[in-house]
Amino acid sequence: ADPITIKFSHVVAPDTPKGKAAEKFKQLAEEKTKGAVKVEVFANSTLYKDKEEMEALQMGAVQMLAPSLAKFGPLGVKEFEAFDLPYIFRNYEDLHKVTQGEVGMGLLTKLEAKGVKGLAYWDNGFKIMSANKPLKTPDDFKGLKMRIQSSKVLEAEMRALGANPQVLPFSETYQALQTGVVDGTENPPSNLLTQKMHEVQKNASVTNHGYLGYAVIANKAFWDKLPEDVRKSLEEAMKESTDYANQIAKEENDKALEAVKASGKTEVYMPTEDETKAMQKALAPVHTEMSERIGKDLITSIYTATGFDPAK
Amino acid sequence: MKWLDRLEEILITFLIAAATVIIFVAVVHRYVSGWPLGAFQDFLLSIHLSWAQELCIILFVWMAKFGAAYGVRQGIHVGVDVLVNFLSPANRHIITIIALAACILFTGIIAILGAMLVWENGLAYVFLSSFGFETGDHYEGPTTPDLEWPTWIVYLAVPLGSSLMCFRFIQVLVTYLRTGEMPHHDHGHVDGLNDELDESAMGQKS
Amino acid sequence: MSALVIFGLLLILMLTGMPISIALGLTVLTFLFTMTEVPIEAVALKLFTGIEKFEIMAIPFFILAGNFLTHGGVARRMINFASSMVGHWYGGLGLAGVLACALFAAVSGSSPATVVAIGSILLPAMLKAGFPKNFGAGVITTSGALGILIPPSIVMVMYAVATNSSVGALFMAGVVPGLMLAGFLGFTTWYRAKKFDYPRQPKANLETRWKAFRDSIWGLLLIVVVMGGIYTGIFTPTEAAAMSAVYAFIVAVFVYKDMGLKDVPRVLLNSASMSAMLLYIITNAVMFSFILTNEQIPQSMADWMLAQGLNAIVFLLAVNILLLVAGNFMEPSSIVLIFAPILFPMAMKLGIDPIHFGIIMVVNMEVGMCHPPVGLNLYVASGITKMGITELTVAVWPWLLTMLIFLVLVTYVPAISLWFPKLLGVM
Ligand code: NA
Ligand code: NA
Repeated sequence: ADPITIKFSHVVAPDTPKGKAAEKFKQLAEEKTKGAVKVEVFANSTLYKDKEEMEALQMGAVQMLAPSLAKFGPLGVKEFEAFDLPYIFRNYEDLHKVTQGEVGMGLLTKLEAKGVKGLAYWDNGFKIMSANKPLKTPDDFKGLKMRIQSSKVLEAEMRALGANPQVLPFSETYQALQTGVVDGTENPPSNLLTQKMHEVQKNASVTNHGYLGYAVIANKAFWDKLPEDVRKSLEEAMKESTDYANQIAKEENDKALEAVKASGKTEVYMPTEDETKAMQKALAPVHTEMSERIGKDLITSIYTATGFDPAK
Repeated sequence: MKWLDRLEEILITFLIAAATVIIFVAVVHRYVSGWPLGAFQDFLLSIHLSWAQELCIILFVWMAKFGAAYGVRQGIHVGVDVLVNFLSPANRHIITIIALAACILFTGIIAILGAMLVWENGLAYVFLSSFGFETGDHYEGPTTPDLEWPTWIVYLAVPLGSSLMCFRFIQVLVTYLRTGEMPHHDHGHVDGLNDELDESAMGQKS
Repeated sequence: MSALVIFGLLLILMLTGMPISIALGLTVLTFLFTMTEVPIEAVALKLFTGIEKFEIMAIPFFILAGNFLTHGGVARRMINFASSMVGHWYGGLGLAGVLACALFAAVSGSSPATVVAIGSILLPAMLKAGFPKNFGAGVITTSGALGILIPPSIVMVMYAVATNSSVGALFMAGVVPGLMLAGFLGFTTWYRAKKFDYPRQPKANLETRWKAFRDSIWGLLLIVVVMGGIYTGIFTPTEAAAMSAVYAFIVAVFVYKDMGLKDVPRVLLNSASMSAMLLYIITNAVMFSFILTNEQIPQSMADWMLAQGLNAIVFLLAVNILLLVAGNFMEPSSIVLIFAPILFPMAMKLGIDPIHFGIIMVVNMEVGMCHPPVGLNLYVASGITKMGITELTVAVWPWLLTMLIFLVLVTYVPAISLWFPKLLGVM
């Protein structure tokens, strides 16, 4: 019989961790299903762009995507905005307790009401702040034009710091920083490096204040209609590529941070414990401010899973 | 149909003006709120304009859809007339009718597809659930990220604009069959310059 | 196979004379209905999201700014300034025409608009001064083409949209080639004027020059708003376009007072209509390039080309010929939107710089606008001079030849395009 074709569309370059993981999934899926499934990966928004891929998935024009978690708020599952809350995960261990535990899986099932099947979380990494001046304490952010991706939580985060958040497409960020349309931004180190933003930012502060990640999703009707054995094999392939994705994402970010330091173009600063405390304190109100929107219960269950205490 | 013409013109004029003003204000706000002006700065920083770009895009897409319909009336849509100009008048007449029919077909299909998109993308859910029916396979559609407007409302531009465009092409075809006249926009004409021309000038193609 | 069907259908539909935008759209629909499993609602989605991009919004803003300028008497003041500066040289008013076109190009995004704005005022004056008709027509038709090479440029925005390149970098890359072409055209003008001993203007004294400069300063300052705004980083290109529209409005209505507030709605309506036409082509072209991608056509064409062992030099020659031929039948926006997605992947595989490739395409579009059968600038000039297209074609040849020589230079010397943006660090 003809193989089942899965069009897997994403919006980043093929040589990024997500791009590589998508290729890995293609290879594993085709191997494990012995050719019963053919995966066509479309990188760099060549098929669908950021703004339309979710609708395209819902109507079945594309079968798989790996959008950033910020995309699920507009889809109507605002709970996903919890991932954007500043300092909610202290490290990868905390994070994986959620993304690979019950809370994360519970969130994915919420997508089914939208015709979307959630398959896995893929890490990108923890974000650091950058600008053209040292960013040690919250006061350093006052009046800075900070680029963010479109998100109510990130907007609240920058406002809590006294900065002026500017929503810009990722593709325009380098030039906006270079020319001074915006003063600074937040990114995982790998984005900072691959987009050459470190060449146009004098200072970076390894705040690790927020998480950037993706969810791999499929069209639910398509997924449910797959033959049982094929679906099993694809789930296995997804599990293996998830481990691969998270591993290379971490490696890539560690390497990128070293490369940024080595380039000498950006002064990389490690905040002291006190400075981190001050940042956490300034940003703590964001959790309360957003709790109505995201859902108190969910936020509490994340606190419980990670042992995070907002009072501290 | 005078009222429809008028409404169309007022709508697109308003849309382009509004988009311009919004971006102007957002840019000015971005800079002025960076100045250390004490309480006034705090006031400016408390104004949230991060939706400006999104709104500008929505206004312009709506302007584009309805402006395209207005453009049919003006004959502004450019085509390749190299071959057609070589044909005998009788053949040219036939080809023109075929071309106009194809335009009607295309804009008509897009209007229907657009309506289906809007329906699938949230209207169905809103409609069915507000009348207490089972929503079945229909999902509550996404919203826009910044303004958080339901996208199906935003996408209404496609079916509405294309329906109007289809209607305009039908009008053009009817007029053409009756009179043999087609609206034609002279792309070489820029108005506002006529009054600048010298008395002795050769004048300009009107 | 699918490539043949797609391009064949597009060609047939276009030849009926229907709008190019609709020919593109119908090709996509036919193909999707009959040959693929892409759900057709995706078409309607693309019709919205295809232009849902902030960069694209520069187009209506630049058109609006341009319309305020033509209504606002900016062109006339620029011509006065230009002729006070170079009018006394050989080819006097002709050279002033080149200079005025270059100045106007730096505030306007379109070539035909530049031809009209400068030509409709300057050509009558040239005839009165004793220049032969075809000399004036030749100068203005070709110099007007600077409109899309000297930034801002609507065609560059189109290229950026079709290939995901940076609008800002393209704008900066157009500066040097634009000035250079202005120099080339000026030289041809001067040379022919000298050869045939055409009349010269009396030399303007310093006072006249200063007055002409003062008079045109508000228009000239727009160059600072747009270009300065983009490279000092005050604005993104789209914001610069919006600011220039507001600025042009203020200059036209409140400074020069050549138009009143009551004329504003009409300018808005005409700008909206022109923009909508271009945006409608973009939406349909985006769908067209979407089915090409969906069928992986550009990729396989690029692979095929590499397998033939084609190198960059031959490829660029072929691109120039292809685009010049296409320029015989279509207007620039459609050419860029249809051909850029196909040619771009090939150019990338051959290691050609994306910005350089964009400038090559833009210069090709300029040449295409000046030669028959379809050459928008020619039609515009014919409207102003009441000369036939054939007669005009003969009139423009010395300048057209100059442009072709310039095209070869730009094609094979990337530094002409890339030196300046690299210097500024925008790429
Ligand atoms: Na220009
Ligand atoms: Na031509």
